[in-house]
Amino acid sequence: MLFAAVALARDLGGTWSGTFKVDGGDHTVPQLLILKQQGKTLTGSGGPNAGEQYPIEHGRIEGDDVKFELTTGEWKFTYDLKQTESDALRGDLKLESVGDSRTAKVSLVRAKGD
Amino acid sequence: MMTLGVTGSILAFEPEIDRLLHPSVSYVMPGGRVLSLVKIGDSVSSKYGGEPIVAFLPSSSPRFPTDVLVSRGVVSVNQYTGEVLGVRTRGQTLLGFVRALHVRLAIGDAGRNILRWSAVAMLFSIISGLYLWWPVKRVRIRGPWLGGRFWFDLHNSVGIYSLLPWLALAVTGAVIGFEDQTAALLDKLTGSSPVHSSRSIFPSAPGGGATEITPDQAVAIACAQLPGAVPYRVQMPRYGGVYVVSLEYSDHRIAGGSNSFSIDPWSGRVISADLESGLTTRERFMATNEAIHTGVVFGLPGRAIVALVGILLPVQAASGLVMWLWRARIVPTK
Repeated sequence: MLFAAVALARDLGGTWSGTFKVDGGDHTVPQLLILKQQGKTLTGSGGPNAGEQYPIEHGRIEGDDVKFELTTGEWKFTYDLKQTESDALRGDLKLESVGDSRTAKVSLVRAKGD
Repeated sequence: MMTLGVTGSILAFEPEIDRLLHPSVSYVMPGGRVLSLVKIGDSVSSKYGGEPIVAFLPSSSPRFPTDVLVSRGVVSVNQYTGEVLGVRTRGQTLLGFVRALHVRLAIGDAGRNILRWSAVAMLFSIISGLYLWWPVKRVRIRGPWLGGRFWFDLHNSVGIYSLLPWLALAVTGAVIGFEDQTAALLDKLTGSSPVHSSRSIFPSAPGGGATEITPDQAVAIACAQLPGAVPYRVQMPRYGGVYVVSLEYSDHRIAGGSNSFSIDPWSGRVISADLESGLTTRERFMATNEAIHTGVVFGLPGRAIVALVGILLPVQAASGLVMWLWRARIVPTK
């Protein structure tokens, strides 16, 4: 148990990649997050690829729970993730624009070599 | 199908209805010189405690304000005076719910599946309706008001006059519903690459003492690349690494807004350009399909027809139901 908790508590800093799929949507959307952890605070950036990155706002870590926001412009993304394994983050994503609100499932893994 | 029709009618005039619902942030009095984006951004920043600007949406008409995207929502600014008209926060609205009903019945994957097959069912109904109409060829309503003959004539007349628009909506709706399958088939038939590669570009590193170019300079650089096109979106470099200036030709009704330039914020160099002329076969087909589905391809008259025939779908369903309930009493005669 203790080993499992220690393993999960590994620093989240580094590059994470994966996808999300909006409920009722057709496609999976690529994700690439570059995270920096300082205690319980999470900063960095995220976007569809390394060349298009948006700053992470209001990032915080509570145990296995990882929450942060980012905005790409019309859409604001609110992530509510759980560190399911030391190198995996899974959870929900809320996408909100002026007039619309949607939900998605996110799955991310730590990039190899990180 | 009734849901699709009614919601489609509303969505055909979504921008106009949205402005009617939010008049205080939708209109300005034209007059004087238009302020620079920097000045407009300053107005927003001073009003909202320095909240960073994500993007500018320059006004599309002298009567409409310039919108500024920030994390909290969309701020509308009078581009002549710099007055902040108000902010619209993010989240579901009535029109957003209508849209959700139209594309996924507001219930996610299950709703989307129901709707995509509804489009196929509508195609079948139209073809079978034409088959049934052919022997009687009713084009006018002659029966007494709300009598059996009235419903029969109404169903036949509405059906034949709406046939072509409904057929177009059903076919284009089915294409949208089965977009992945259609796109894959198109790629196979045309041998084209699936889609544009997504933007993956990197700005230069700022030299010592370097300053970023302004959003107005970025717009000027982009506009010089595409004379005649007007800017409708300017993304700030903090959000994505580079300025992204999107331009549109107002007279291009299919994919007219598919022009974006990525501009290095330090050197002002155009790093990449995604242009309407460079769309793949798949993208062009999908854009054309959407323009037909929304009626935009024929301008205002096209949107009006889409709205009208959308409203007529429940009428057709109701008259069809009455005919079925009164089937013993309604005997079609030539």
